[in-house]
Amino acid sequence: MAKILLVEDNEMNRDMLSRRLQRKGYEVALAVDGRQGVDMASTLEYDLVLMDMSLPEIDGWEATRELRDQDSTRNLPIIALTAHAMSGDREKALQAGCDDYDTKPIEFDRLVGKIETLLQRSS
Amino acid sequence: MTRRSAQARRQAALLRLTTGIVSAHTEDEIYRSMVEGLHDEALGYSFLGVFIVDPETGDRVLRASAGWPDAPEHWRVHRGEGVSERAVEDGQLHYTPDVTRDSRYLPSRVRGSEVDIPLRIDGDTIGVLVVESDTRDAFDEDDFEILGAAADQAAIAIARAQLLDAERRRADEHKALLDTLADLSSELELSRVLQAVIDRAVTQLGVSGGEVAIFDAEREELVVVASRSVGKDSTGTRLKLDEGAMGAVARTLEPLIIPSYHEWLGRSEKYADITVHSVMAAPLLIGRRLVGAIATVHSDPERIFGEEDLRLLNMFAPQAAIAIENARLYTEAQRQRQYFESLVQNSPVAIVSLDLEHRIVSCNPTFERLFGYPSEDAVGRPLDELIASDESRTEAEAYTREALDHAVHGIGQRRHRDGHTVDVEILGVPVVVDGERLGLMGLYHDITELLQARREAEAANSAKSQFLANMSHELRTPLNAIIGYSEMLQDEVEDLGHETLGDDLSRIHTAGRHLLALINDVLDLSKIEAGRMELYLEDFDVRAMVDDVATTAKPLIDKNANRLVVRCPDDAGVMRGDLTKVRQMLLNLLSNASKFTSNGRIDLEVERPPDDGQALVFRVRDTGIGMTPEQQQRVFEAFSQAEASTARRFGGTGLGLAISKRFCEMMGGGIALESEPGAGSTFTIRLPATAVAVAESST
Repeated sequence: MAKILLVEDNEMNRDMLSRRLQRKGYEVALAVDGRQGVDMASTLEYDLVLMDMSLPEIDGWEATRELRDQDSTRNLPIIALTAHAMSGDREKALQAGCDDYDTKPIEFDRLVGKIETLLQRSS
Repeated sequence: MTRRSAQARRQAALLRLTTGIVSAHTEDEIYRSMVEGLHDEALGYSFLGVFIVDPETGDRVLRASAGWPDAPEHWRVHRGEGVSERAVEDGQLHYTPDVTRDSRYLPSRVRGSEVDIPLRIDGDTIGVLVVESDTRDAFDEDDFEILGAAADQAAIAIARAQLLDAERRRADEHKALLDTLADLSSELELSRVLQAVIDRAVTQLGVSGGEVAIFDAEREELVVVASRSVGKDSTGTRLKLDEGAMGAVARTLEPLIIPSYHEWLGRSEKYADITVHSVMAAPLLIGRRLVGAIATVHSDPERIFGEEDLRLLNMFAPQAAIAIENARLYTEAQRQRQYFESLVQNSPVAIVSLDLEHRIVSCNPTFERLFGYPSEDAVGRPLDELIASDESRTEAEAYTREALDHAVHGIGQRRHRDGHTVDVEILGVPVVVDGERLGLMGLYHDITELLQARREAEAANSAKSQFLANMSHELRTPLNAIIGYSEMLQDEVEDLGHETLGDDLSRIHTAGRHLLALINDVLDLSKIEAGRMELYLEDFDVRAMVDDVATTAKPLIDKNANRLVVRCPDDAGVMRGDLTKVRQMLLNLLSNASKFTSNGRIDLEVERPPDDGQALVFRVRDTGIGMTPEQQQRVFEAFSQAEASTARRFGGTGLGLAISKRFCEMMGGGIALESEPGAGSTFTIRLPATAVAVAESST
């Protein structure tokens, strides 16, 4: 089963989303800030990253740019999770190099759909 | 003496007379030339006299004589008396060989013969030339011929002198008028001017006194302000209309002559104790408007005012009237000047006036304070040298140059004497008087504090927006947990078979979603209001966007058993706009339509209107409950769902249409509504196919 890295600083969101993903059968690893997210993703153990945008240390946009800058993670699928469906956030996420984005609160089925699409494309 | 030598002497006498009268300027000089020229004992022209008829009495008055050293000056010979009367009566030369035997003879030193030659001008006999000899029958035809010629020449000269005299008198009158008017411009103290007028009038008319009154229109009374020799000091006396001579003319606006004042019924008690005999008064008029009255008086019972006096008085009346009117206008102008002066002095706006070379002519106290230059330091110096900083110099000089030509208005920065910067609103206007450009005027309104307040307000507003953004983010985080955990629990409850808990969890979930929608909409709206909502323009395929929206809206449509019909032409093409906002608007319209329609049909149409290739029209039509005209009017206002009860029944934030309307405006388009209660509603969004970012200016 696919391994997903969830980068999320909010404890409840992290817990809730990881449990629901696990119920769907995904293996989920957790990072609590942007720096840890970049470090863990760089180990190449994960098939896909769910990246919150407002994070401590370095934010999601910066973390995404760093991952895109290194050859090993250049094509790693990243889905941005933005706080609100503001045009600006979506634009910024896609510009930073995210493959897709979704807004919080997560509509779980829609998110799973996006995850599956990306996993299929990259495999 | 031979007849021939006598004739030569006569010619010589005539030549002397001619030479004399040619160089004479006045009538009296002519009369003297006549008698002195003709005087010749050898010819028997021993006693000569020129008598002129007084037109009023008919008396003959001696004006010049020769051979008569003790002749009384201005000796009068009464009408009907004396030998020379005959020449005056019939205008013919009369010869009396022996005066002592004539019935009209007045005993005098002459007892011989006399020739009386009339002096005629234009057919009128104005006097008589009398030539007498001690010898009886001393004159013959030769003498009559020479004396006749002499009288004719003299008459022509007299007529010319009278004309000159009249001219001179007119010139004197004119000069008096000019003198008075000169007084008017140099001395605007009204009573002094009027005193000067009445003094001149009294002198010129040869009367004993006079006075001038001004008309107090408010109280309808005359007030005497200048008086001379009327028997008392009448200055300050007030006369009602019809009271006294001046009151009478003030009422009738016609001049009036009163031959015997003490018998006149209209006289005022205020003048009861004076001793004047006759009075002449005239109104002082500007056009037909009464401004005062003038009167002259005579205490000599012999002197009665006539037409000539009235003519003269009428020359002074306009002067007095003009003086009064000028004084009134001057006072008025003075008052206005003081009014504007105090306006400028007390104005909270700095005011400076400049000449054509941009040098300061004057400035008000606010200018002194605002820029730190006392008036005495500022006057004479070029304005921009004083108050323009190095950075604003070019702009300031351009303002000054332009303001000489037309009004300029703007906002800028100027420099105080101590170097600090002053924010000012500037108004420059040319000063043009009677078509002549004299300079310009600059007004500086200190807006330093105003700008400071605005900056603070903007900062406060920005802080408020930041607070709102932060707050909605902070609200959303726990809300995410509520929504997420309730969803998760629903899954788990299903798995565990506790179906009865499902409904409750669903309610928590729905309430959470609604709260989230409210927060998002309020945030959107406050961003729009604060002018912080931005447009992200991109090119997108209209058809693909519409299909996506239809798919997203499907669950909503199905909920009330409605049917969605999408009509979008294949050539709808590409649109440049804010994709997210267009989607949000269409979803909002479809969501509304499905809320207020049950078992009906909802149409989503897209078209490029034939009349405007640059526009795109999106239309959402439903067959739902519709709206009354009143509801339609309020539907685009925030929190204005047609009725509070509908909000409870149908859900929604009541902000969707308000947001959509503003989004449309930001993109340069608009939204319209047609509806009828019970017959459904149609919302039409019209957007430019290529939007430009007009967002900032439209919010």
